[in-house]
Amino acid sequence: MSDAIAIPPLAVAGTDLALESNAVLPGGVTLTLEPPASRWSLRARTAEALGAVIGRAVPTRIGETLDGIACLGPDEWLADPPAGTVVPDGAGQPVSVVDVSARGVVIRVEGASAARVLCSGCPLDLERFAVGRATRTVFETVEVIVWREQADMFRVFVWRSFAPWLWHALKAVQLG
Amino acid sequence: MSGYRLPAGGRINRAAPLDFTFDGRAHRGFAGDSLASALVASGQMLFGRSFKYHRPRGILGMGTEEPNALVTVDRGETGPGWGRATPNLRAPSVALYQGLDAQSQNRFPSLKFDLGAVNDRLGALFPAGFYNKTFMWPRSAWEKLYEPAIRRMAGLGASPATRDPDHYDATYAHCEVLVVGGGLAGIDAALAAAQGGSRVILIDEQEELGGGALSDQALWGEVADKAMALRRLDNVTVLTRTTAFGYYHQNFVGAVEQLTDHLAPGEAKGARERLWRIRAGEVVLAQGAIERPLVFDGNDVPGVMLSSAGRTLAVRYGVAVGRAVAVMAVHDSGWRDALALKAAGVNVVALIDLRAQVAADLVSAVRAAGIAVHLGHAVTGVSGRHGVSGITFAADGTGHSQQLAVDALLMAGGWTPTVHLWSHAKGSLRWDAGWGAYLPDVPQENCRAVGAGAGAWDLGSGLALGTLPGPKPIWQTKAFVDFQNDVKARDIDLAVREGMRSIEHIKRYTTNGMATDQGKTSNLNGLQIASGSLGRAVTDIGLTTFRPPYTPQTFGALMGHHKDALFQPIRKTVIDGWADARGAVFENVAQWRRARYFPQGGEDMHAAVARECLAVRQNVGMFDASTLGKIEVVGPDAAEFLNRMYTNPWKALAPGRCRYGLLLREDGFITDDGVSARLAPDRFHLTTTTGGAARVLAMMEDYLQTEWSDLDVWLTSTTEQWAVIAVQGPLAREVIAPLVEGIDLSREAFPHMAIREGRICGVPTRLFRVSFTGELGYEVNVPAEHGRMVWEAIHAAGQAHGITPYGTETMHVLRAEKGYVIVGQDTDGTLTPDDAGMAWAVGAKKPDFVGKRSLARPDMTAPGRKQLVGLLTEDPNEVLEEGAQIVADPAQPVPMTMLGHVTSSYHSATLGRSIAMAVIADGRARDGQVIHVPMPGRTIRARVTASTVFYDAQGSRLDV
Repeated sequence: MSDAIAIPPLAVAGTDLALESNAVLPGGVTLTLEPPASRWSLRARTAEALGAVIGRAVPTRIGETLDGIACLGPDEWLADPPAGTVVPDGAGQPVSVVDVSARGVVIRVEGASAARVLCSGCPLDLERFAVGRATRTVFETVEVIVWREQADMFRVFVWRSFAPWLWHALKAVQLG
Repeated sequence: MSGYRLPAGGRINRAAPLDFTFDGRAHRGFAGDSLASALVASGQMLFGRSFKYHRPRGILGMGTEEPNALVTVDRGETGPGWGRATPNLRAPSVALYQGLDAQSQNRFPSLKFDLGAVNDRLGALFPAGFYNKTFMWPRSAWEKLYEPAIRRMAGLGASPATRDPDHYDATYAHCEVLVVGGGLAGIDAALAAAQGGSRVILIDEQEELGGGALSDQALWGEVADKAMALRRLDNVTVLTRTTAFGYYHQNFVGAVEQLTDHLAPGEAKGARERLWRIRAGEVVLAQGAIERPLVFDGNDVPGVMLSSAGRTLAVRYGVAVGRAVAVMAVHDSGWRDALALKAAGVNVVALIDLRAQVAADLVSAVRAAGIAVHLGHAVTGVSGRHGVSGITFAADGTGHSQQLAVDALLMAGGWTPTVHLWSHAKGSLRWDAGWGAYLPDVPQENCRAVGAGAGAWDLGSGLALGTLPGPKPIWQTKAFVDFQNDVKARDIDLAVREGMRSIEHIKRYTTNGMATDQGKTSNLNGLQIASGSLGRAVTDIGLTTFRPPYTPQTFGALMGHHKDALFQPIRKTVIDGWADARGAVFENVAQWRRARYFPQGGEDMHAAVARECLAVRQNVGMFDASTLGKIEVVGPDAAEFLNRMYTNPWKALAPGRCRYGLLLREDGFITDDGVSARLAPDRFHLTTTTGGAARVLAMMEDYLQTEWSDLDVWLTSTTEQWAVIAVQGPLAREVIAPLVEGIDLSREAFPHMAIREGRICGVPTRLFRVSFTGELGYEVNVPAEHGRMVWEAIHAAGQAHGITPYGTETMHVLRAEKGYVIVGQDTDGTLTPDDAGMAWAVGAKKPDFVGKRSLARPDMTAPGRKQLVGLLTEDPNEVLEEGAQIVADPAQPVPMTMLGHVTSSYHSATLGRSIAMAVIADGRARDGQVIHVPMPGRTIRARVTASTVFYDAQGSRLDV
């Protein structure tokens, strides 16, 4: 029994974490880092007001998605449209269109146990989270947006600087 | 040496012997044993020493209620490995494995011969409340003498002092029905809930399902059948070795699953424990009931235990607690236990019951089993110190007494339904006289209780007593109520005589129920004794609160993956890797790590910072400012919104221009600041401090949603969208000019405090002309994915101009030379704009802004407020300590009148001397005065300067 616990300087150990492009988790679930893409944060009082300005229909209920646009809140949408789509900036209109393409990255979590991997750190009932839904939530202490594209494939949007931690936290998940 | 293994019976596997050690001595048990059953089987009745009096103690119960038999289990794979040692484990809950190494606690030098036991002889000197009374004076002795001595003497196991090498898993789970408790009532509830296809989780703390039924051979078949039925259901998750430790709001239950502690260390793979965070539609509590001890003189001698413990040892583990066993009962369950023990082959010699009348069928069955029956009698004494050698019992406790040679005594004091989790969830309780206990009444959550825990189980009937009647007055007895905290019946009586009336006070005065077992066996007896002493009904003196955790849990399990590299996210900018490769020294700022300085050769921080500062002042430097908080404010009412938030006017700011914004809280004190740019009539690019980013966004969003929801404006965090490269110094323009397209960089076209959009190195940029150094400067904002490329391009282009990367330390010095504040360093949440010397940033003509009203309060304008000023030490080489206190008269006796403190202090290479900022009462009026900074062994003299600007007061270097 030694006299003192040797503790390294606060949290320095975490600085070595780095993003990877692919990883396979023990349960056969794969992690894939998606390439950069154009994304916008859209804000308006109503879905109609927003739709009129950007010239596209947007989902009206929180959690719903439509053609690459997810409704995240009563006045907030995330546009993650097909490549080549440009969302107009709505200058002068009562909307807010902000380019957030570089703000974060998307980690694709794929496999039969994908929901269980995410459930390890996400308090939502992802087993009952319908395909095609998206929501802002957390994985442990990190804010993420979870978008269920297929029954066995989730896309996890996370701000850039939190991504290495999230990547390795997902890799550490044990499916008991 | 009274316990022994019965020749047959039990659920153990006699074909699988397991070797283990206790206090270094070798023992042998079988697969299926617990540490407690295996030790009793080898004749070990002494398990530990009590907390306060160091009395020898054996096991009391065979479940999680066990207060005495606390052990340290060392799971080092090759010899002692203290990082894998866990103290204070309850021996009955420790599953036996090959090579298990357990040690007793709180004894010196050995369990059998313990010097601390002198406390027991001096017990009269240590009554309830003695800590409060005895060690109050002198005050200084508490910290230095009394507390350390008491902690050494009165202790549980030693805390591990090396790092825990294990790792831990955690998960969330959802189900429609969560059943806590895997006895028959819980199993039935789970089976019923699973019928409709709902997701069901069944949690049980033991090694196998069955609960109390494992101690009743007649029920084994039913348990096995139903457990099999559960396993066949896909929608049921059964978690054994899992303890639901807390029940929180909205049916959120925390549980810890032991994954490897039941295995030999060499066989353990993966995480040690898993934290389950379960959200359930309905919670069914099937926690069962815990038997109550009886309170009488000598009830803590090793070998005196709960009747249910003796039964569990015999039926489940095939262990006899003694060769001649007596039962002291006030409840029918003791009679049933006596019959079960007899059937298992244990020699039960006598059944003593305080009741004069007991159900005739029980009496005749026990008599038929050859057990002597003594109705209307009570045990009044126990002989033996390290083990029972005999008992004395008397008619009604006070009448004619007789002696009996036995080596074990079982107590059947009735049952207390386990309502802990029910109470965590704020369910109400009702007193039930039949049980002599509180039962679940009305739930707050979608929750119900079943089985014994609900009072819905036939355990027979009996009395609920405070103490057994006896010949001695209470103050002459050593009749224990709380075994772990050494609280005796007389301590509770003393508390009442000293004026305690509520059970909450009695508990704290005596510490009854405050040990790690949280009074599982003592609460109800304590209540009954207090009730008797007070002459008031039990229901009139209250019930203490049940709080999580139900049983102690490891910190590791609660941490989950938040350990080592995953302890918490370390945020790094896109330029961090470049700085790392250049040998930068880092510091943590909020969650970010930032380059602090870039030492070259053998430079220390002082030398590196001096070089970096001079480079910026003379040539040009570059700095990674990506961590600055950024918010895009967009909408027709954007300017109106900012005008209401910030102290200064924003509506007239022209697109393409920047402004410094000062943000107050509603109380009028500075909370953040930053430079923001107007990109278009309806679009602003705000910056906040690095640490304030999330807080400022939340504050602004709060105002927008709750106060001014009529405004058409929205806030979007863009902190991570943009990498920010500050290029600062007289040559800054020359460095970036060749890289920039579409922006006229000339002084006239692009003045100080302006923003232009264009391209740099071929990518879009928002180019700010701003300065936190006092030099000509730009902050190059580019989309984060291009940040590293642009940084390297600027660095390459700057080589011809001697460009020098600098870190946060140099940034701090440069801004201090200019008197620019850092919110949170030079301000502390009690400074107004005027206190900070920034009255110029307050728009006096503005009708309103956040905090304006508070600035008009008399105290906010009263004389004597602390003001931010400069300090110049008389010795130019003396660098003051940040945080050092400032006094006017160092000759004053201690405690001196303190005027304020140093907020920022550096050596300035540019000025060739030290500089400092400080907040000082009436600071600006003290311009030119000498103040004193007392330090250990000396006092430093410094002169106040009303202005905090030490360099280029005219700002001539900015406007070039």
